[in-house]
Amino acid sequence: MTLQHYLILAALLFCVGLMGAFTRRNAIVVLFSVEIMLSAANLNFIAFWRYSENPGLLHGPLFTLFAIAVAAAEVAVGLALVIAVYRHFKTVDLESMDTLREE
Amino acid sequence: MNFELLIDILIATVPLMLIFATLFAFTTWLERKALARIQNRIGPNKVGIPCTRIGLFGLGQPAADGIKMLFKEDIVPRGADRLFHLLAPILALIPAMLVLCFLPLEFPWTKSLLPIQAFLLDGAVIFFFAITGLNTLAVFMAGWASRNKYSLLGGMRAVAQMVSYEIPLVLSAVIVVMMVGSLNAAEIADAQKGFDWFVLSPWGFTAFVIFFISALAETNRSPFDLPEAESEIIAGYFTEYSGFKFALFFLGEYIAMFAISGLAVTLFLGGGDGPGLAAAPWLSVVWFIAKIFALIAVMIWLRGTLPRLRVDQLMGFAWRFMLPLSILNILVAGFAWHAQQQDSTIITVITWVASLAILYGTASGLNQLNRGNTRPRKYKYAE
Amino acid sequence: MSEEIAFWILATIAVLGALVAVRKRNLIHGVFALLVFFAGLSGLFLLLLAEFIAAVQVLVYIGAVGVLLLFAIMLTERVAGDDGRRMVSRGWFWGLVMAAAVFVVLLLPAIQQWPSPETAQPIKPSVEELGHKLMNPYVVTLEVLALLLTAALIGAVTAAQGVRMPKEEDSPE
Repeated sequence: MTLQHYLILAALLFCVGLMGAFTRRNAIVVLFSVEIMLSAANLNFIAFWRYSENPGLLHGPLFTLFAIAVAAAEVAVGLALVIAVYRHFKTVDLESMDTLREE
Repeated sequence: MNFELLIDILIATVPLMLIFATLFAFTTWLERKALARIQNRIGPNKVGIPCTRIGLFGLGQPAADGIKMLFKEDIVPRGADRLFHLLAPILALIPAMLVLCFLPLEFPWTKSLLPIQAFLLDGAVIFFFAITGLNTLAVFMAGWASRNKYSLLGGMRAVAQMVSYEIPLVLSAVIVVMMVGSLNAAEIADAQKGFDWFVLSPWGFTAFVIFFISALAETNRSPFDLPEAESEIIAGYFTEYSGFKFALFFLGEYIAMFAISGLAVTLFLGGGDGPGLAAAPWLSVVWFIAKIFALIAVMIWLRGTLPRLRVDQLMGFAWRFMLPLSILNILVAGFAWHAQQQDSTIITVITWVASLAILYGTASGLNQLNRGNTRPRKYKYAE
Repeated sequence: MSEEIAFWILATIAVLGALVAVRKRNLIHGVFALLVFFAGLSGLFLLLLAEFIAAVQVLVYIGAVGVLLLFAIMLTERVAGDDGRRMVSRGWFWGLVMAAAVFVVLLLPAIQQWPSPETAQPIKPSVEELGHKLMNPYVVTLEVLALLLTAALIGAVTAAQGVRMPKEEDSPE
C-alpha cells in the first residue's frame, strides 16, 4: 500500500470526526469526535514515518506516544468538566448552554 | 494468500487451544474437588464412566457440565439489549484466548518443523496488558446489557476493581522488564535460566506477591469476587446469563486465570526452567504447565480459605497499600540493579539486606497506616 | 497481497466504527462503535509496523479512555437517548458542508504524487530503540508529559468532585 492510501484514510477519518463535532448536541459525543480526530492525526504521523527515508529516527512513534498521552489527559479533564457542568445545568445539551451568566 | 502462512498459523494456534481447553476441563474438576475437601465434604464423585456405576472420582463431571450447559435454554430478559447480551461473553473470551499466544511456550515442533515467528512479538508484555484490559469492557457490557439493577451494580463495581488493580499489576511487571531490558517474553524467560528466577530476590519476591494479588483481583477470583459473589449480589454481572453464554463466561474466566498465571510464570518463576532441560528440551513445556498449575492450585486454595473483601476494603487495599509499595519496589529494584552491575559480593549482600529491610518496613508501615479504627463501637440507639 | 487485504478490512472497520459512533442516538452503542474504531486503528498501526504504538493505543484508548467515557455516560443523562429531543444541533447542514470542504482541502495534497518511495523501507520494529530515544534526546518531553498527566489527574478529580458538601459523596475514579 502506498502512502496515499493511508493519507486519504486519515483525511476521511478526520472529517468524520469533524462532522461529529459540528453536528451533535451532546457534549460527550463532541468529546468522542475530538478523539477520532486525534487518532486520525496519529495515523498520519505513523504513515509519514513509515514511508520516510530515515525510519531509524523513530520520530513517528515518539510523537504519537506523546500525542496519545496528551489526548488521554484531555479526555479525562474534559469528562470531569462535563460531569461538573451536568451537576449544575442538569443536562449536557450544548444548545441549551448559551448564557455566560445565569439570572 | 499463501498456503504456508495458513499452515504456520494453524500449527501455532491449534495445539494451544487443545491443550488449554483440556486444562480448563481438568481445572474445573480440580477446583470443585479441592474446594470440597477444604470445606470438609467430598465434591463430585459420581460422574465417571457413562452408563456404569463406576465413579472415577468424578472425572466425568466437566463433560457432564458441558453437556448440561449446551442444552439449557437461552433466556434473554425482555428489554435487554440483545446484541450486547450476546457479544459480552464473546468479548470476555476472545482476549483471554488471544493472550495465550504470547506466552513463550517452546513446543518442540516450532524449532524443527517450521520457523514460526508468528507470535514472538517484540513488545509481548505490553500487548499482554493491553489485551487483558479488554476484559473490563466485557464485564461492563454484560452488566449493562442485562437491564437489571444488580447486574449493573455488580458490573460497575467489577470495572472499578479491575481498573484499580491494573496499576499494581503493570508496575510490578515493570521491575522485571527493567532488570532484563526487553519486553520480549522469550527473552525474559531466557534471562532466568539456571534457577536464576526473579522470585528469588527481595524485590522480585515483593513484585511477585503484588502481581499475584493483583491477578486475583483482575480475574475476579476470591477473595476479590465481590462482583460475582453469590451471597452478595446474586452472581452480579452474569445474573441474567444461562446456558451456553454462561459457559462462555466461565471458560473466559478460567482461561484468563491461565493466561495471567502464565505471565506470572514467565516474568517471575523462570518460565519453563527446571531440572532436566539439557537432556530433554521438550521438558520446558511440561515445566511451564506444571508451574501454571501450581499457581492455579494456590488460587483455588485461597478461594477456599479467605473470606471475601468488602468493596471499600478492596479499593483501599489497591490504592493505599499496593500502589505505594509497588512504586517503592521499582525504586529499590533500580538501585539494586545498579549495585549488581558493580559485581562485588559485599555490595550485593548490603543491597539485599537493605532492600529487605526497606520493603518489609514499608509494607508494615502502610499496614499500620491503613488500619481501620478498632475502638469499641458506640451504639447510638440503645441507651 | 495479504497486506492489501488487511489494509482494506481494517480501513473499513475503522471508517464504519467512526461513522456509527458519531451518528448513533444511543450513546452506549456509540461508545462501543468508537472502541471498534480504535481497534481498527490499532490494527492499522500494526500493519505499519509500529507495534509499540498499537499496544499503547489499545491500552490507553480502549482500556482507559473507553471505560472513562462509559462511566461518564452512566453519570450524566439518560443513556438510551430516547427522550424525544433532537439529536443533531441546529446548524447541522452547514456543519456537514464545512466537514466536506475540509475533506476536499485535505485530499488535495494527499493525492498528489509525493517524492516518497512507493514501497516502504524495511524496518525492524524494536522497542529498545524507542526506549533509548526517550531517554536520550527526549527525556525533557517525557518529564513534562509526566507533569501534565499528574496535573490532569488532580484537575479531573477536583473538577468532578464539585463543591464539598457536608455529606461526603463518592467521586468517580
